[in-house]
Amino acid sequence: MNAIVSVWGFFQNNILTQPAFFIAFIVLVGYMLLGRKLYEAYAGSMKALVGYLILNVASGGLVSNFRPILAGLKERFNLSAAVIDPYFGQTAAQSAVESIGRSFSMMMMVLLVGFMFNLILVLFRKITKVRTVFITGHIMVQQSATALWILLFCFPHLQDTNIIIMLGILLGTYWAVGSNLTVECTQDLTEGGGFGIAHQQMFGIWAVDKIAGKFQSKDETKNKKIEDLEMPGFLSIFSDNIVATSTLMTIFFGAIMLILGKDLMGQIDTSMDTSRSFIFYIIEKSVSFAVYLQILQLGVRIFVSELTESFQGISNKLLPGSIPAVDCAAVYGFGHPNAITLGFLFGALGQFVAILGLIVFKSPILIITGFVPVFFDNATFAVYANRKGGLRAATIITFISGVLQVTLGAVCVLAFGLSDFGGWHGNIDWSTIWLAIGLSMKHLGYVGFGICLAAMLAIPQMQYMKNKKYYFSITEDYDSYLAEMQADECVEEVA
Amino acid sequence: MLKVIAACGSGMGSSQIIKMKIDKAFKSFGIDVSIHHCSVGEAKTQINNYDVVFCSAALESNFKSAKEKGKTVIPLRNVLSEAEIKEKIQSHIIDKQ
Repeated sequence: MNAIVSVWGFFQNNILTQPAFFIAFIVLVGYMLLGRKLYEAYAGSMKALVGYLILNVASGGLVSNFRPILAGLKERFNLSAAVIDPYFGQTAAQSAVESIGRSFSMMMMVLLVGFMFNLILVLFRKITKVRTVFITGHIMVQQSATALWILLFCFPHLQDTNIIIMLGILLGTYWAVGSNLTVECTQDLTEGGGFGIAHQQMFGIWAVDKIAGKFQSKDETKNKKIEDLEMPGFLSIFSDNIVATSTLMTIFFGAIMLILGKDLMGQIDTSMDTSRSFIFYIIEKSVSFAVYLQILQLGVRIFVSELTESFQGISNKLLPGSIPAVDCAAVYGFGHPNAITLGFLFGALGQFVAILGLIVFKSPILIITGFVPVFFDNATFAVYANRKGGLRAATIITFISGVLQVTLGAVCVLAFGLSDFGGWHGNIDWSTIWLAIGLSMKHLGYVGFGICLAAMLAIPQMQYMKNKKYYFSITEDYDSYLAEMQADECVEEVA
Repeated sequence: MLKVIAACGSGMGSSQIIKMKIDKAFKSFGIDVSIHHCSVGEAKTQINNYDVVFCSAALESNFKSAKEKGKTVIPLRNVLSEAEIKEKIQSHIIDKQ
């Protein structure tokens, strides 16, 4: 008996609670279960281990690069700052989880339970009306990290096992219901492309698709299309994430460090070489954020590509006939390139205006624009909005989205106690839907959890009521679905 | 062996989908390939080591100089459509050999 206890203790201390080794272990077991060869399983788990350790190097670098700036803001202006970006958010969530002495390995277990619960919901699709499986691995990692912190923040005394089961179910439901919600509008946009979206703004996409039409002017001649615009060529450099991230970071952190001044920065950051120009110190420091983000993404890419491929394999094997849900960038081919640039631009404008607002109204939290939400959310919104409401809808909606990302992002940092950790997830669903979920769990406890779960599960039921006949065959038989929907509209107009 | 790069905005999501889909398509043609997926930024710096780039149609403009160097750039409208991928492999690669 003692032997079993000590073996379990060894496993728990060295693998189960050590995220890097735990992920490698999961990949090893997963590949064996999928019937892959032993050497393939070994290679996969080695890559997962290396990938996760690279990610750790990067998040350590991000945190230490950020620390003197956060300290300076605190000392000078009594301000906290947070970058709204899921990579910063994931790093902040990890630091927060570890700061209360809990293991970050739970993130991986939550992810697995969530994925399995999503599969179960699709397996019983006759009852649940869920058609989509969420397989975008890197998004699942980021969301599991942030959601883990939200749940621990709401239920700090809950045991690990309960946390994993509760959150797995909640997150699995969000993945299933959210991606399912995007099927109709994505079919419409892509004219029967045959997929849904599994990303960070699924409720956002649905809402944009619903409201975009209202921005159409009655006078047809006034409805400008994004396609007619002549965009300055230099803007295209911002679709390169390295250029965009370094530029954003240099603008924001450059401004902050300039305001803090050389003397204060020199006092806080002892590694600063005072014989060098302060300007070049600032540039190097700012660009270092982009460097660590690149490393972080490299690490995520290495261990997640194993994950995504096996998830794809599992869902194809178990659930033929389910609709794939993928990264939001899959719709970019269906929008004009101008829509993508314009969405990014107006989203950024909205964010900058809102950040100025935070400063003017003396918010205790300063928000810093991160690349992922401002680009991916808003470019996606612009593509959907342009289809239904033209240029006006695309610009107004992305501007509003930018404002919401910043203001609600600041609310989230405060509401979830993240002000010491320098980051928040930032994507629109996380600053709206998950803010609501988090607040209801914080204030109503398990009742709040139950309400959120029930409300999300009710959504596919409502979608089904609208279109019973082609609900499940929409990706195979898009033309009949269209004919049916048009016939319905005519009936409504006559009535 | 044909060296192929699949690129998207961040090199995480859709480029991996592209990679999985084109891998299947190349196999069905019996063409031997090695495929790497990454972000547009990384793809541009590594283009010299590759023969073909697949990307979303919206990101095609990033690869103007690659085209000038004689690399094959294949923009995809629907990154999930096997029909579109096969048709473009046929017209951009097989027919030109």
